[in-house]
Amino acid sequence: MGKRKHVRDTNNKDVSEGKKPKEDVILPPVVSSDEPVPRQKKWINKQRVLVLSSRGIGYRSRHLMLDLRSLLPQSKSESKMDTKDKLFVINEMCEMKNCNKCIYFEAKKKMDLYMWVANVPRGPSAKFLVENVHTMSELKMTGNCLKASRPLLSFSKEFEEDDHWKLLKELFVQTFGVPNHHPKSQPFFDHVFSFSVMDNRIWFRNYQILEEDASLAEIGPRFVLNPIRIFEGSFGGPTLYINPHYTSPNEHRRILKKTLAAKYLMKVEAKRGHEARKPTNSSYDLDPTDDFFTINPETLSATKT
Amino acid sequence: MTLFKKFSGELSDPESSDSDSIDSDEELQKAFAEGKLKSGFVIEAAPKKQLIKNKIGLLQKLDEMKVNLDWIERLDMVNTPARVLPGIEEEDSQQDIHNDFKREMTFYRQAQSAVLEALPKLHKVGLKTKRPEDYFAEMAKSDDHMKRVREKLLEKQLGMERSEKAKKLRDLRKYGKQVQKEVLQKRQKEKRDMLEAVKKYRKGQLNFKTFLPYKFEKCSEMTPNKKRIYKNAKFGFGGQKKRSKSNTKESVNDVKQYGRNFSKIKKSSKKGGSMVSYTNNKRLGKSRRQNVKSKK
Repeated sequence: MGKRKHVRDTNNKDVSEGKKPKEDVILPPVVSSDEPVPRQKKWINKQRVLVLSSRGIGYRSRHLMLDLRSLLPQSKSESKMDTKDKLFVINEMCEMKNCNKCIYFEAKKKMDLYMWVANVPRGPSAKFLVENVHTMSELKMTGNCLKASRPLLSFSKEFEEDDHWKLLKELFVQTFGVPNHHPKSQPFFDHVFSFSVMDNRIWFRNYQILEEDASLAEIGPRFVLNPIRIFEGSFGGPTLYINPHYTSPNEHRRILKKTLAAKYLMKVEAKRGHEARKPTNSSYDLDPTDDFFTINPETLSATKT
Repeated sequence: MTLFKKFSGELSDPESSDSDSIDSDEELQKAFAEGKLKSGFVIEAAPKKQLIKNKIGLLQKLDEMKVNLDWIERLDMVNTPARVLPGIEEEDSQQDIHNDFKREMTFYRQAQSAVLEALPKLHKVGLKTKRPEDYFAEMAKSDDHMKRVREKLLEKQLGMERSEKAKKLRDLRKYGKQVQKEVLQKRQKEKRDMLEAVKKYRKGQLNFKTFLPYKFEKCSEMTPNKKRIYKNAKFGFGGQKKRSKSNTKESVNDVKQYGRNFSKIKKSSKKGGSMVSYTNNKRLGKSRRQNVKSKK
């Protein structure tokens, strides 16, 4: 990881020299281990994100997690969580890892992926269903960017309109935004994270800035977050918001099955109804005396003999 | 079980399920008459969800977690999608969630407008945004991966070109076939017309000049070649050849041809062209002949 270098213009520096700004720390090539490492003084926004997953995560989701880890230099990793552990254990993990944000991928039934984004000690936290995952390693994503450069964060205008979107926006800014002057971050701005609300979901895209005139190429990953709930605490606490448009994937699958079953049941029912309604004797009443005088040729011949 | 028996019309909007879950037949009939219900089988309605939206709590939490930092620390923006072209009207993007291209285009344009907004701001602060060519650092995707991406792109492009070429060839072939067909049809038509005209001519409905005007003229201009004339003369074309080779009175009386020097005359006439009488070629006396010899 390249260390951050001076990116300011020299004349600009001269202007600001009077105020005695905090200096950018550039490490010498050889550092003795006894000396304390000098700190970056400009680094104010100290966000650290723990990115981890539960056990039983699929390959695609794992790649997604790794992509996020590689794109966010402020992220820290942790081994997979056991599925039986309670979620608030993560709070302790974050404390141990000195993290104040957390992205937790929870896999269920080996097919559904949920994502928790939490502000750790005091909340809030939000749970999402992750849909339509495409990772960065897919070949159709043609862009590329510096590994740890700071992304621009673009939100669609819906994030300003409703309270829960506002809260989610703040949460995303703090988790996905790379802090300025973070020691692992790189200078230059060569990619954009875009969050758009469409169909009551949040669509995440990552674009490379090819030219200054805003021609872009997608880097990936891409995924869709379907919000489920927002909690007051981190990984728990009273619910602040429930998404009314959300149907769980279990429910969705059940309904699909049910409709298929209903089709069959309808058919059976229709058959039975048809049987029941089918007339057994002729449709109009006959007078039994009507054919009293009609001659039956057999009986006639029998009488003759 | 009746608790869940509802029609598909109500399933679409779970929020508006204010009517009783137990519907009498009359109510259902009424609803059907009004067109609220679609015909179809019975689907279970989703059980009513309790809706929570704690506005005060949300805002309170937002205030609590907000950190007071400059924009440069956060780099967040709220954007509407950038305009494509000044002339083109933007369509309502909300309805095209399932149209992949349109959806991705709106995201792309949103990111574009973010870039257009952010870069000038960053330049104003004095931050460089463009990575110089000689700045090498670890990238999000490895060189190996990017090579594969490039290969894939190239392959795709080649495939496209190939298919386009094939398409063009196919079109050309189609066109050629059509042209050929037309030519054949034209020829057929000409032939048919010709035959009809000939038929008419035979019946006397047409005179020769009207039915073959240009060919007739052409015929008058043309003269047969010499070979043909000779052959016609020799093998016959026009007139009887029978008995033409037998003797006649004149040929019998023509004594010229018979004589000593018949062959010589023939030769000399071929060479010189002028008729030479055989008296000129009379053999000289012996002494003269010898003189001639000695002179030579």
